[in-house]
Amino acid sequence: MDLYTIAFYLFAVITLVSASIVVFSKNIIYSAFALLFAFFGVAGLYVLLMADFIAVTQLMIYVGGILVLVLFGVMLTTRVINVDMRTGTIQTLPAVLIVAALAGTLVGVFWTTDWRIMPAFPGFEKTAPRIGELLLTSYLLPFEIASVVLLVALVGAAMIARREKKAS
Amino acid sequence: MELQPYLLLSAITFVIGVVGVLSRRNAIIVFMSIELMLNSVNLSLVAFSAFLGDVTGQMLVFFAMTVAAAEAAIGLAIIISMFRNKQTVNIDDINILKW
Amino acid sequence: MGITFSDITSSAPLVSLVLFSFLTLIVESWGKDKPVLSYWVSLLGVGVSLALSFGHLGAGIPVFGGMLLQGGFAGYCNLIFLSSAFLTILLSRGYLERMECHRGEFYILILFSTVGMMLMAGALNLITVFLGIELMSVSLYVLAGFMRKKVRSNESALKYFLLGAFATGFLLYGIALIYGTSGTTDLVAISKLFPQLSHNPIFLVGCGLLVVAFSFKIAAVPFHMWAPDVYEGAPTTVSGFMSTGAKAAAFATFLLVFVRVFDIAGTSLSQVIAVIAAASMIVGNVTAVAQTNVKRMLAYSSIAHAGYMLSGIAAANVEGETGILFYLLAYTFVNVGAFGIVSIMERQDDKKLNFEDYEGLSARRPALAVLMTIFMFSLAGIPPFAGFFGKYYVFLAAVKANLTWLAILGVLTSLISVYYYLRLVVLMYFREGDADLDHSVPRRSMIALAIAAISIVVLGLYPSLIVDLTRSFFKI
Repeated sequence: MDLYTIAFYLFAVITLVSASIVVFSKNIIYSAFALLFAFFGVAGLYVLLMADFIAVTQLMIYVGGILVLVLFGVMLTTRVINVDMRTGTIQTLPAVLIVAALAGTLVGVFWTTDWRIMPAFPGFEKTAPRIGELLLTSYLLPFEIASVVLLVALVGAAMIARREKKAS
Repeated sequence: MELQPYLLLSAITFVIGVVGVLSRRNAIIVFMSIELMLNSVNLSLVAFSAFLGDVTGQMLVFFAMTVAAAEAAIGLAIIISMFRNKQTVNIDDINILKW
Repeated sequence: MGITFSDITSSAPLVSLVLFSFLTLIVESWGKDKPVLSYWVSLLGVGVSLALSFGHLGAGIPVFGGMLLQGGFAGYCNLIFLSSAFLTILLSRGYLERMECHRGEFYILILFSTVGMMLMAGALNLITVFLGIELMSVSLYVLAGFMRKKVRSNESALKYFLLGAFATGFLLYGIALIYGTSGTTDLVAISKLFPQLSHNPIFLVGCGLLVVAFSFKIAAVPFHMWAPDVYEGAPTTVSGFMSTGAKAAAFATFLLVFVRVFDIAGTSLSQVIAVIAAASMIVGNVTAVAQTNVKRMLAYSSIAHAGYMLSGIAAANVEGETGILFYLLAYTFVNVGAFGIVSIMERQDDKKLNFEDYEGLSARRPALAVLMTIFMFSLAGIPPFAGFFGKYYVFLAAVKANLTWLAILGVLTSLISVYYYLRLVVLMYFREGDADLDHSVPRRSMIALAIAAISIVVLGLYPSLIVDLTRSFFKI
């Protein structure tokens, strides 16, 4: 096994274990911190795939932004810690069926497909200049739409979460 | 290294996220599970992008992250406003699989 | 490359609506606590965009470097979204004032979500599809929770948000697998590769995930479970907007990807969609019979209508596409109108939302009763009104595509639906009761309802106007 493969399995294990903790832990604080490691694991995999720009963005947006928001949410709604995690019996069966069907299809189809048709990993020189160039040429419209999505999120979040003003 | 392990890893993480959404009752944990799903999809996209030698997949990841950030802001605002009115974010009444 | 002047002129309805959204935002932040100003600016914005859309019904032109296709199909869909937004804005002002939550952000969010819908219908690239859906959805999550002091509204927003974000995961995974197998996100390029790709199992799984995500957005069985609770808890006019504009946008994207780009006629995907359509018709109609709350009844009825329209997508032929496009326009006027009347009847704290609250309405409010009767007859698909022709065209399409069983099922389940639609009419006309309003109906709400009713009658009398138009833009 070469170093690359070892690194891949290391990050894969980190991601999978943390993901399981996020979903199955009884303590929401553990879940939130496990999410941090899951994000780190995925960022490591991005580095292995030579996606430098995306790896850095992953750390800045997911770890620096979204995770901090989630932690704020956890702390502002403190009563939810140690929540009872039994689920109603009505939804267990459909949930199991859905998950089994989904897992079977996805894993089955990836397992059986013959991947040798794919070319060997060509990789990239540097991705950031290429992405930056595309964002301002071919993908200018999606870039603008993304900015509008962020604006709507700003307006909406401020509207919903702000305190009620005195009867106006 | 081949593409297959990346896709399998991504599929398994996605399924773990789906399990979380369908089985947990706390809105914040459901939200974290959704973030896991999005992350696993992003991993597939970056892997495809690398093996195709085409940067479009990474553009898509970039936009997916922007959207995820916007959704996080909106989602947590909704959770907090609900907590303010009801003092709980347990989704007993909002049972996701209620037919 | 960048953006050229002709890109802007070819997408004038979209660009002008974006500009008016920003203008409304500025007006709202300037004139504090004067939501009336935002109301007028947003109404003007939708009106201007609607007027411009009539000039964009010709051949479709790719703009913004092949990211969007403006004109033709997209131009026609814009008419649906903008009519829905226009009537919703007219109906909402009086409703929000009575519910004591009249704020200008409402109009801003309606405009932005309409922009998202227009992007969805015009998308030529999976990235634009994704961002359009998200722009629409993010605005709608907030609109569903707009009455932030009301727990029901909060719950509705939370449920819509969690399931919407869940569906986003499936959508993105579907896009990822399609990108991975075709090597591009450009829909025109994918449509050329489709004959080879349609044998690739990974590509088919990607398409399946897209079907799941779109079924969530149109509330088709078995991905419908959010709809009744969300429609019930959201502000009533917003429910009307979600069940028309948002549903029409999701159908436009569904049509765009699965009929116009991928030719699914006769494939296994078409069979899957036919099964989803059948399940929606059965579950929607059977459950609607048991409802006591009018808003929930309309929610289940909208699930059933999604089933009827899906049979047009399963058919995947010219008749199916024109049928759905006609159906969507008719359904938009009908459902915005029906939810509008429910919003007029509603009192604070969710009162007066049940069937028995309509008993004897015709005696005191004859105009409202007549309008509601028109909407209910049209929903039931009774001939002179537009709803009948919508169903006729999509079922005809199903028969032509050898899906006769689906058409028969559609007709049978429509018969069930007659029961609960006419029950409301019977209650209003033939039952003694004291249904009345404690407020006068604002003139602008009556104008909106009248526009909806007249459009239904005109579309019912001259359906060929729309059908001949929509037939000309089949396929990209």
